[in-house]
Amino acid sequence: MATSKKLPVPKGGHAPLSSLSQEAAEATSPTSTDSRPPAEGKNPKTKKSRKDGAEDVAGFKGLKGAAKVESLKAPKTSNLKDIGEASFGKPRAKAEIVHGVDNRVKINNTADYPWRVHASLLITAADGSNWIGTGWFIGPHTLMTAGHCVYIKNSGKPGRDGWVRSIDVMPGRNGSSLPYGKVTSKNFRTVAGWANSGDENFDYGAIIIPSELGNTTGWFGFGVYSDATLKASVGNISGYPGDKPTGTQWYDAHKIDSVNARKVYYDIDTVGGQSGSGVYRIINGGRYGIAIHAYGGATTNSGTRIVTPVFQNMVNWKA
Amino acid sequence: MASVISGIVLGPDGEPVPNARVYFTSGPVPLPEIAAITDDRGEFSLTAPVPGEYVIQGASDEFTSRSSKVKVKGKSPVRIELPLK
Repeated sequence: MATSKKLPVPKGGHAPLSSLSQEAAEATSPTSTDSRPPAEGKNPKTKKSRKDGAEDVAGFKGLKGAAKVESLKAPKTSNLKDIGEASFGKPRAKAEIVHGVDNRVKINNTADYPWRVHASLLITAADGSNWIGTGWFIGPHTLMTAGHCVYIKNSGKPGRDGWVRSIDVMPGRNGSSLPYGKVTSKNFRTVAGWANSGDENFDYGAIIIPSELGNTTGWFGFGVYSDATLKASVGNISGYPGDKPTGTQWYDAHKIDSVNARKVYYDIDTVGGQSGSGVYRIINGGRYGIAIHAYGGATTNSGTRIVTPVFQNMVNWKA
Repeated sequence: MASVISGIVLGPDGEPVPNARVYFTSGPVPLPEIAAITDDRGEFSLTAPVPGEYVIQGASDEFTSRSSKVKVKGKSPVRIELPLK
């Protein structure tokens, strides 16, 4: 839905940065002030979600513990308070990424919505080293991912830090099968708080691809939600972990554990390679991103919360 | 205070394994969930953000994955081998 107003450009840690020149980056920025709904793309074959807020996936054993799902409404962004500089929660004593029994299930119908919104990423860093991560469409040209997937910071390796050289984007990948092909991008976004400071609270970024592949795959909506709403929600994550056969997509869901001003914490099982996955909730059958998965922690894993400045950047990056 | 953990992934025959995935499975602080891909010589390097004990796992489609505990002291680089079965 195109509108004419451009959202304010965030400042401070959320000040946006581009791998392109400023002029080129601005030329690709869309303008709008609406909330951002999902789209299911062409011939989506979408399966209805479960009543408990998780996806209906064969083999998925259900949410760990009881998950109360709130009455769901369309996303609103106008009533969010400025959450400012609240505390960020206690650091974890020891990080483990799969907690207890591994609940992840393999997705086989990756060519269908919503699974095809997720893309396997093959990242080539500035020093030529290769990495894997995950991204998710928010528009025809734009995928969200972790900041550390597009801009490497504090690696300790000469020549590695900075914008990555390129990323191969493979939506709906299932092993060697690429139902929507592969698109290579060198056009990335992140924010000052990540690129300048390496602050995990600002660890998010975007990939702009040169084709309109998102019109085919569809995309997730995204929104800003209150603490109470998030803590009553079920978080869903699907992505491309490194411990499973190459290029296979795996899914898990669980009630959100806790939130703070800039992070969302959850006991959803993830492994290295899933950085950048969308953490999403299901509202009346629509999928809405609430965070960008980035870290494995001690008792919970975590993602960068979509708060107002993150939302503003996502809207401005959406193309 | 970052330290670089570098190493090589080896197959059961002792030969380097290219295109294996290498990633942290535990550590003293929350860790980025990005996984390294070994190069043509089976080599990788990961960044440990703080001193402490880490567990690194290597996985490939051909062999059984393997984990290794790594102690990081200060900024000193650490070198390991990850032999897959």
